[in-house]
Amino acid sequence: MILEKDNVQKCAAMTKIRLNAGEIDMYNKELKDLFRWVEELSQVDTSAVPETSIQHAAYLRPDTPVTNGPLAESLVTAFNEQEGHCAKVKKVL
Amino acid sequence: MLKTVFEIAQAVQNGTLTAVQAVTDSLQKIKELNTQINAFVEVWPEEALARAAEIDARRARGEKLGPLAGVPIGIKDNILYKGHKATCCSKMLANYVAPYNSTVVEKLLAADAVLVGRTNMDEFAMGSSNQTSVYGPAHNPVNFDRVPGGSSGGSAAAVAAGMVPAALGTDTGGSVRQPASFCGVVGIKPGYGRISRYGIVAFSSGADQVGVLASDVKGAALMLEVLCGRDVNDSTSLEAQVPAFSKNFTANICGLKVGMPKGFLDDLGEEVKVKILAAAEKLKSLGAELIDIEVPHAKYSAPCYYIITSAEASSNLARFDGIRYGYGDKTATNLNDYYEFSRAPFGPEVKKRIIIGATALKAENYEVCYLQALKVRELIKQDFAKAFEKVDVILTPTSPTTAFALGAHADNPLAVYLADLYTCQGNIGGLAGISVPCGTDKEGLPVGLQLYGPILQEEKILNAAYHFEKAL
Repeated sequence: MILEKDNVQKCAAMTKIRLNAGEIDMYNKELKDLFRWVEELSQVDTSAVPETSIQHAAYLRPDTPVTNGPLAESLVTAFNEQEGHCAKVKKVL
Repeated sequence: MLKTVFEIAQAVQNGTLTAVQAVTDSLQKIKELNTQINAFVEVWPEEALARAAEIDARRARGEKLGPLAGVPIGIKDNILYKGHKATCCSKMLANYVAPYNSTVVEKLLAADAVLVGRTNMDEFAMGSSNQTSVYGPAHNPVNFDRVPGGSSGGSAAAVAAGMVPAALGTDTGGSVRQPASFCGVVGIKPGYGRISRYGIVAFSSGADQVGVLASDVKGAALMLEVLCGRDVNDSTSLEAQVPAFSKNFTANICGLKVGMPKGFLDDLGEEVKVKILAAAEKLKSLGAELIDIEVPHAKYSAPCYYIITSAEASSNLARFDGIRYGYGDKTATNLNDYYEFSRAPFGPEVKKRIIIGATALKAENYEVCYLQALKVRELIKQDFAKAFEKVDVILTPTSPTTAFALGAHADNPLAVYLADLYTCQGNIGGLAGISVPCGTDKEGLPVGLQLYGPILQEEKILNAAYHFEKAL
């Protein structure tokens, strides 16, 4: 099953959406029904559809680990003062 | 009072009606009925009248007027019109003012149309009953206790109530055609890429398409003629000639091949089924040939649609983080709280679609869910391409039911999603689709006939719908 029991909360957190207890219950039920329905798609034989024929955007998936990129360290070291991984500045405007 | 786009434009062009009078009539109707119908969420009376007066002055000076001269038009609340609010009927964008014109607005203004206000819609175009709007639901003018459909429910209701002869909507899974069907007006969604999406608040970039709601087929054709065409600001818009849709109707539809998909009436309610079969017979009596076709994967369109569009929505709506766009919460004390508080104004349906999309895109689900949906979409497209080798247009109902009661299906959202089956095939397949009224049920609620055509062949469905409308 695509949606495990506690996943609604996890998926919502990935998208920066905070749910209250009532919403978690509601979405758990609704989304389970929906994904059960969507699982119909897995019955379709798509072996004849070549990967190259599908246009799909290279999404940054919501569960992709967030990194500061390759330049972060060199940027921070370029500042006069550092604290941990952060550059120290006089004032934040 | 003149009712259609064509009648008004012609009368203003030849001087038998002033643009000011046309707009005054429209504003009067809105004033009379909007309290009950809630089709418009904002009206711009002074501005509309001033623009109408300018159009009249230009005519008086002997200037040639545009094809939509003096025609009052409503625009859906997700279409940018510079200096005007565009809220997507969401608290998230409650104070958002468009900083530039969408291409469709530019084209309407260049054609001398008069924009009279923004119309109600489901929040961020997610819904098919107009009940998720932060402004409250629009009501169906045929029966105020019924929904007008959605998401372009306000636009359909405005046209059906005679407030405007045409309005713009957007259609991601049927959001122009289904409300057209529920309200008894014409709704057309051209093929994907026909009309620029520049300046439309994105829901699902691979399926969103601007469409037209109008009081008759000829008016919809004229509007389409103005709106279609390549736009350098939208890389998905198509480089293709735009035919004079409103002038190219043929003398008859003898020999038109109408595809009847196998099994497409199986799960339909009796009343809608009777009307659709009668519509098919009417087309036959006009000289069309009814041909059985098979589109075996079309039945998977709805689940396919909900995965693909929700995935795109979860990505598109990430921009509403309170920093770049949307509501910024000042009470948060750390970044995560800031994001979460700032995204709290999304309504339940929008939150749900974002969560569906994020779930489908998660690493462990990506292949079985998202990629599988894309592959099934490819099979659906192939089915339609094959069918269009045999037929000119494909006939289906627009919706399996007529307009349902406000508040119905609240405890069964899946039933509402399933009802999109006939319309979302068009978005998944990238087809052109039109809904045209084909009668009413026992309660007097309109039933819509849908005709599909291949991309860049909108003329075929407009022509068939035009002759059907005349004969009904």
